[in-house]
Amino acid sequence: MAHEELIEGALRTSEREVIEISIPGSVDLVVLARFTAATIGARAGFDLDEIDDLRLAVDELSVSFGPLEPETRLRYTFLREGDTVNVRCTREPSEDDGDGGAGHSERDLIDWQQARELSAQLLDELVTTHGREIAHGRSVAWLTKQRGEGTG
Amino acid sequence: MTSPAQPADGALDLPTLEVEGELDLAVAPWLRDQLDALYVGGADSIVVDLSRATFLDSTALGVLVSALNRSRERGGRVHLIVQEPQILRVLTITGLQDEFALHKDRAELQRRKGKQ
Repeated sequence: MAHEELIEGALRTSEREVIEISIPGSVDLVVLARFTAATIGARAGFDLDEIDDLRLAVDELSVSFGPLEPETRLRYTFLREGDTVNVRCTREPSEDDGDGGAGHSERDLIDWQQARELSAQLLDELVTTHGREIAHGRSVAWLTKQRGEGTG
Repeated sequence: MTSPAQPADGALDLPTLEVEGELDLAVAPWLRDQLDALYVGGADSIVVDLSRATFLDSTALGVLVSALNRSRERGGRVHLIVQEPQILRVLTITGLQDEFALHKDRAELQRRKGKQ
């Protein structure tokens, strides 16, 4: 089923809902994705630990792309179906001029290989499933977390 | 967010950095700079006080691991003061809980140092 069809289907029932946010490639704004994750986790009936785990996992999706560049945006789609939350994070070109992306400090001072390895370890434990793919020529990182699972 | 670096805590007798808030990609470069400053002067062991930190992601953790490697090269340790369950969970998941010297507060660190 196409992603767009999933979203349309989600809007037809209160057991399913979709929240989409799109942010410029700025490290300061990734916190908005964490806020959204906490909200939708609560609506899925997650307990506080699970909500914390989902917040961190969504943050790690952002890390998986490496340095955020000013000419990109991150689009997050949160799909809740009952007690399960699916999150897709797509890195896409920005139509803005964008001046809030990766500075020298972020690119130069972060060991991205190490961060990715740690990130993968965390995601393995925090969520039910996760992965990366190329869809329509764009990088996508995604995760699924079900209440009561993936919180070993 | 994160507070400015605190001056070395004489009571601990080790270069100390106290941070607060959410340690994420936005803060990691700042954290790296602050930790680098602790090693100026040839310190081998340092203290990072995370008592008031509420979040730690892989980028900030990676910065702490870099400090850990640096201290080890000098024969020292990185002491973390941490009680936040989510941060402890991150350390456990990544298998790093035994690599850092973990303490629940400064008093515990002082007691342990006193026994050495």
